[in-house]
Amino acid sequence: ETIITLNKAKIKIWVLTGDKQETAINIAYSCNVFEDEMDGVFMIEGKDSETILQELRGKMKPESLLESDPVNIYLKKKPKRTFTMPEELPRGDYGLVINGYSLAFALEGNLELELLRTASLCKGVICCRMTPFQKAQVVELVKSMIKAAHIGVGISGQEGMQAMLNSDFAFSQFCYLQRLLLVHGRWSYNRMCKFLSYFFYKNFVFTLVHFWYAFFNGFSAQAVYDTWFITCYNLIYTSLPVLGLSLFEQDVNETWSLHFPELYIPGQHNLYFNKKEFVKCLIHGIYSSFVLFFVPMGTIYNSERSDGKDISDIQTFCLIVQTSLIWMVTVQIALKTTYWTMISHFFIWGSLGFYFCILFFLYSDGLCLMFPSIFQFLGKALSQIWLSLILSVILCVIPAFGYQFLQPLVFDRINHCKTRPPQVRVRTKLKHPSLRRSAYAFSHKQGFGALITSGKTTKTKPNKKNSFPVKKKESSDISTRIVAFQEKSISGVPSTIPLKF
Amino acid sequence: MEKEFHHHPSRMPDNSAMKQQKLPAHQLHFSARVVLTIFFATGVFCFCMGVILILSAQSIQEIEINYTYICENCAKLRENAFNFDQKCTCSVPFYLQENMEGDVYMYYKLYGFYQNHYRYVLSRSNNQLVGKDIMDVEDCAPFKVSQNKTPIAPCGAIANSMFNDTIILSYTLKSSVHIQVPMLKTELTWWTDKYVKFQNPSLINLSDRFVGTEKPPYWQAPIYELDTSDPGNNGFLNDDFIVWMRTAAFPTFKKLYRRLYRVQYFMDGLPAGNYSFNISYNFPVTRIKGEKSVVLSTLTWSGGSSLFLGLAYTVTGAFLWLASFALMAIHMTMKKKKLSYRR
Repeated sequence: ETIITLNKAKIKIWVLTGDKQETAINIAYSCNVFEDEMDGVFMIEGKDSETILQELRGKMKPESLLESDPVNIYLKKKPKRTFTMPEELPRGDYGLVINGYSLAFALEGNLELELLRTASLCKGVICCRMTPFQKAQVVELVKSMIKAAHIGVGISGQEGMQAMLNSDFAFSQFCYLQRLLLVHGRWSYNRMCKFLSYFFYKNFVFTLVHFWYAFFNGFSAQAVYDTWFITCYNLIYTSLPVLGLSLFEQDVNETWSLHFPELYIPGQHNLYFNKKEFVKCLIHGIYSSFVLFFVPMGTIYNSERSDGKDISDIQTFCLIVQTSLIWMVTVQIALKTTYWTMISHFFIWGSLGFYFCILFFLYSDGLCLMFPSIFQFLGKALSQIWLSLILSVILCVIPAFGYQFLQPLVFDRINHCKTRPPQVRVRTKLKHPSLRRSAYAFSHKQGFGALITSGKTTKTKPNKKNSFPVKKKESSDISTRIVAFQEKSISGVPSTIPLKF
Repeated sequence: MEKEFHHHPSRMPDNSAMKQQKLPAHQLHFSARVVLTIFFATGVFCFCMGVILILSAQSIQEIEINYTYICENCAKLRENAFNFDQKCTCSVPFYLQENMEGDVYMYYKLYGFYQNHYRYVLSRSNNQLVGKDIMDVEDCAPFKVSQNKTPIAPCGAIANSMFNDTIILSYTLKSSVHIQVPMLKTELTWWTDKYVKFQNPSLINLSDRFVGTEKPPYWQAPIYELDTSDPGNNGFLNDDFIVWMRTAAFPTFKKLYRRLYRVQYFMDGLPAGNYSFNISYNFPVTRIKGEKSVVLSTLTWSGGSSLFLGLAYTVTGAFLWLASFALMAIHMTMKKKKLSYRR
């Protein structure tokens, strides 16, 4: 079940094992790494480099023999930089089987790329008869070429703790992988992206105000903020809300995450934080800093207090800009947070309240008298400050708010999944009835498998214990009745998987 | 398959709500109705606020006279710094069309004077100004000490460049009868400035307390002679001085100079008629390509006559309104599309 779910999340499964080919294939079918509905399963069984090359290229992508193929170009030029595999979408579901002997050739030199390219197009790959060293080689190959972020997961079993000690995560059952990836992995990606885009945004707004001010202060780098504000901004006023967002944020709860493995796909394709998102963040920051500067400027430019006294001084200007900035970034993070726990409330509103407390403290008479040169700013708040503040917050937040509202409408994403019930995949008939699984899992050579699977030696019985909701051909019914407990190794880690039928 | 019984305690993480990410929480979903309501309500609020602000700004009367080049000979005189001890006065007549009712405030306005320059803003000594240590001139570069190495009081570039024009408003009661409009020169500053941030070393015998210091190079008289008639307005407590020391945020700024004293003919403000400003022109703005002017203005609760806030609110309100309608339209079309898609 775990593997079915992972397949739905478009996660490709590679099985690296030391077992025989038939065993491995059987296990693959029973675990849903390979499915009956796949468009093709290719076996690489060549005994030397040439054959293997032909098999790899010719079987899956006949056009890879052309000159214009990027891999061919790379192989000819041999540039110094490492080659990142271009993303290619297969036109159907394919599986690949390769045994250790062929793999020894396939891992050399040019064939590495071919193997990788072909294997990346497959939904599932079985490498059987592998030595431990070859297993490590294959993992290295995939890691270095695709350059995807990776974690090592060890499943503890009875054969020892070695893999567990070497891995980033360790747990006891294979099915926990589902939760790790689809729930926690997804949440982690989501949180990371939100954190990054928010952090960049708040610092852009903070800093770019000085760009606008430069035109008005003779380009003399006079700061728009009080020095204490600059010190405390990232450290005290805005650190806790960001922490709260990164620790507790959930865009969909765990039940939905497990129910819809397709939600995992944006993480694989880097959709939530990439160059485009960064540019959006930058533009939002520039716009916000523009509003943040010009609204207070317009407010105090030609203005006085109601009793005639001055409000167009640097101190008042700094105060207005600071307070507007804090409000603006607080409202922005409040909009970004979709999962409001008590802690989130406390962090966000608490930071805002804390800012006001510190403000009154720093601007108090007592402190000014004690340290006149350090604490220069004194004074009180004015009604125009509030008006200016409200206007700048509204102007900054409303476009982001509107965009957030429009995005799911115009670009269907998560909400779309939520509104539509999960479609039950209607399984079509077997496409390749000729590829029958051998009924013998332990044969050393091509035995009587064909004889037995043809059904001539057993009585045909109607099969009631069908684990797949599909109509199957008679002959394959027999294979479903084989029950065996096997020692399987996945990623070089021993574990036990009860086979379900 | 039975598991071995572990002798050591379980290493499972706590089943607490915090560690299992199961904290009770409220998931925020902005439905279309909520979003549209927010847009609409904010739009209405902004629009109303804007209209109120515009109306209040319109009710203010303001008159500004730019006298930089009207007093041409004075301007030319001041361009040469060696003429500092020559006095130059200038008279600028103007006509007030309507009565200015209520409190009237007189400001001087400067253009192109960068009080917000970084080095300029730093050049002051707050220790000195609060009366703690009159000899502390550390931060005041380049006006720390005079040529004979005595510390300057008040030190720094801000104090040194203080505005020193004298502006007197006079009213033509009848032809050839001119009276000086009574003006107050107190209560021009923030309360905290006058009573906390700026303090004299001691009120008694001010000139003695400043022994050992010198006046800033650009000043005509030392600090303790700024207003000898009123000891509460002398020394560091001088209102004009304090107003000037509050550095402005932009190169164009106005500072409060005098307030109307509502007595005799000016009980209800300034009546309409002929007026003139008698200015003793000292401040050399033409050298820095700046300008200066006098502003007379009434005020309301929302501050001066600046229309910016009012306009900005009105425009924002109108825009939000339009946006809410547009969003509603988009939402309706998308909904229809989705429904047809589902079928």
